Amino acid sequence: MTADPILRITNASKHFVSGDTVVRALDGVSIEVRPGELVGILGASGSGKSTMLLLAGLLEVPTAGTVDLLGTTVSYPDARLDRLRDLRRRHIGFVFQKANLIPFLTAAENVALALEIDDVPARAALNHAVALLEELGLGHRVDNRPARLSGGEQQRVAIARALANAPPLLLADEPTAALDSVRGRHVMELFHHISRSAGTAVVVVTHDPRSLDLFDRTYEFSDGKVIAEHRGNHTAPAMPLWEPRPHLTD
Amino acid sequence: MNLALKDIAFSPARFALTVAGVAFLITAAVGMIGLYRGIVADALMIVDSVGADLWVVQGERNGPFSEASSIPANLDRRVEGVPGVASVRRFIQISQQFDHRGRSMRASIVGIDRPGDDGAWISLLAGRRLAAGHYEAIVDESVGLSVGDTVRLARDDYTIVGVSRGMVDMSGDGMMFVTINDAMTIAARRTGEEARLARARAVAQGLPALAGESPQAGKVSAVLVRLRAGADPAAVAARIAAWGDVSVLSRQDQRDLLLNERLWRLRVQILAFTVVLLVVMTIVISLIIYTMTIEKLHQIAMLKLMGARSRMIVMMIAQQAALIGLTGYAAGLAVAALVFPYFPRRVAMEANDLGALLLAVAVIVSAASLVGIHRALQVRAQEVLA
Repeated sequence: MTADPILRITNASKHFVSGDTVVRALDGVSIEVRPGELVGILGASGSGKSTMLLLAGLLEVPTAGTVDLLGTTVSYPDARLDRLRDLRRRHIGFVFQKANLIPFLTAAENVALALEIDDVPARAALNHAVALLEELGLGHRVDNRPARLSGGEQQRVAIARALANAPPLLLADEPTAALDSVRGRHVMELFHHISRSAGTAVVVVTHDPRSLDLFDRTYEFSDGKVIAEHRGNHTAPAMPLWEPRPHLTD
Repeated sequence: MNLALKDIAFSPARFALTVAGVAFLITAAVGMIGLYRGIVADALMIVDSVGADLWVVQGERNGPFSEASSIPANLDRRVEGVPGVASVRRFIQISQQFDHRGRSMRASIVGIDRPGDDGAWISLLAGRRLAAGHYEAIVDESVGLSVGDTVRLARDDYTIVGVSRGMVDMSGDGMMFVTINDAMTIAARRTGEEARLARARAVAQGLPALAGESPQAGKVSAVLVRLRAGADPAAVAARIAAWGDVSVLSRQDQRDLLLNERLWRLRVQILAFTVVLLVVMTIVISLIIYTMTIEKLHQIAMLKLMGARSRMIVMMIAQQAALIGLTGYAAGLAVAALVFPYFPRRVAMEANDLGALLLAVAVIVSAASLVGIHRALQVRAQEVLA
């Protein structure tokens, strides 16, 4: 791939001071993720995967190094986190191990909320959310609250929420850890399809080896460093699952 | 999307229970304040209603409410002749307990000095005013008698000809109005044996048997004076007080004596309880709102992760707190309005007090919201990962 990277982390370190000890959670890491790529971040617990995700998601600033988003350096050691909020809202979607849905909102409202936060009018946001959920096979669940959804359905709602405002970068932290193998595979295929059909750069932190074949590239982390980078041989998912909707009207 | 309303709609029972808790606190606060106002209003009712400019009472006494007062029943003739006096009435008020159809009742007997006083100042609910010179009574509804009932007071039967509303003494006992002569007879009541012994004592001392009459016979508590227009109350009072055997109190003197002497401890006690209740209300409402915010910290972190502006989070907390406060206040007032009329003593709900209470609730809710909002704004988006 030759397109400019959506995300570029350059020589980033993150150190935490704990008493007299300095913990090097991340130590001189550089990675790039380009449009349409599905990138895996692999490694054991404590290897620095989640810290890398915090830097990539503009939830922490690096102790050293830089984070570029869409070709612009946005995060660096002195950067103010509160000023990164708007960039995060417009350009980054998040999916976690737990769906983290708002319990008092329906599936459609959970998705629409992400759009309303981005100043999309309420009705247009809800219409788009319903359409998005229908495309993810959850058309019959739009009016259900999270407590009435299965774990897989909740995770798909969370993915729909992350995709709602069509971010160029999607970050996922162990998104299949709470799912069985079939549902986990289905979610990974969904990420793959999103990267291909929408050109979204998708970064998935995982230690699940069952879907490695879907990744375009993987970075292997250990002790806060990238110890290996692999290019993968992906297999196309069985069916298209999602199409982006760039324009929203009331 | 209004997150506060969505959350409430998600768990209406919980919201209702929370509001009920706040509402009962409000009801209790309204009750305490209203009880205080009611006691003050009851105490001042007779002083304000009877329409006297000056009260002539027993010498060196602050009667008849703060201290006992007993003056000759014909003192009104002397007072009537003082320049500046427009009219005089004799006044007597005594607590009385009696039986009616097997029930024990209490009333505060008040004498009406007809025909100079026709009792127009009595707030009549049913029936008519006193028309006969004897054995008729107007009774407050709180006593529990109706027009046409007959009660025995001293050795005579009295027919209830009218029912009043809101006419109670400072203890909350309903008033029963009879003519001044009947009231003096009731006050002088004693047993036959008591009368015989008193007469025997008088005869033994070489006095006429009539000297053994009840010490209350021919006595009233006070003479009420209404001044002519333009008369100087202080000059009239000084002239009467100069006689030496009586004291003269103005209406304001009576109010001050009642509020700042007779009822002082009770007022302070109720006010102290009211303050304690308001403190408890503040703590409980604050805890409710703060706990409500703490329970949402993970969701707030998620909202922040999604890039939600602080305004959205602040609005969610503030709107929910305001809804709890306002709904609780309204429900509390509704419960108070439904329940307090059935309480044995008057609970006066005055607009100023209710307004002040609403302001207090608004301040409490705002302060609690600010604490919750402060905590919510400290939440970091990455706490979603925790």
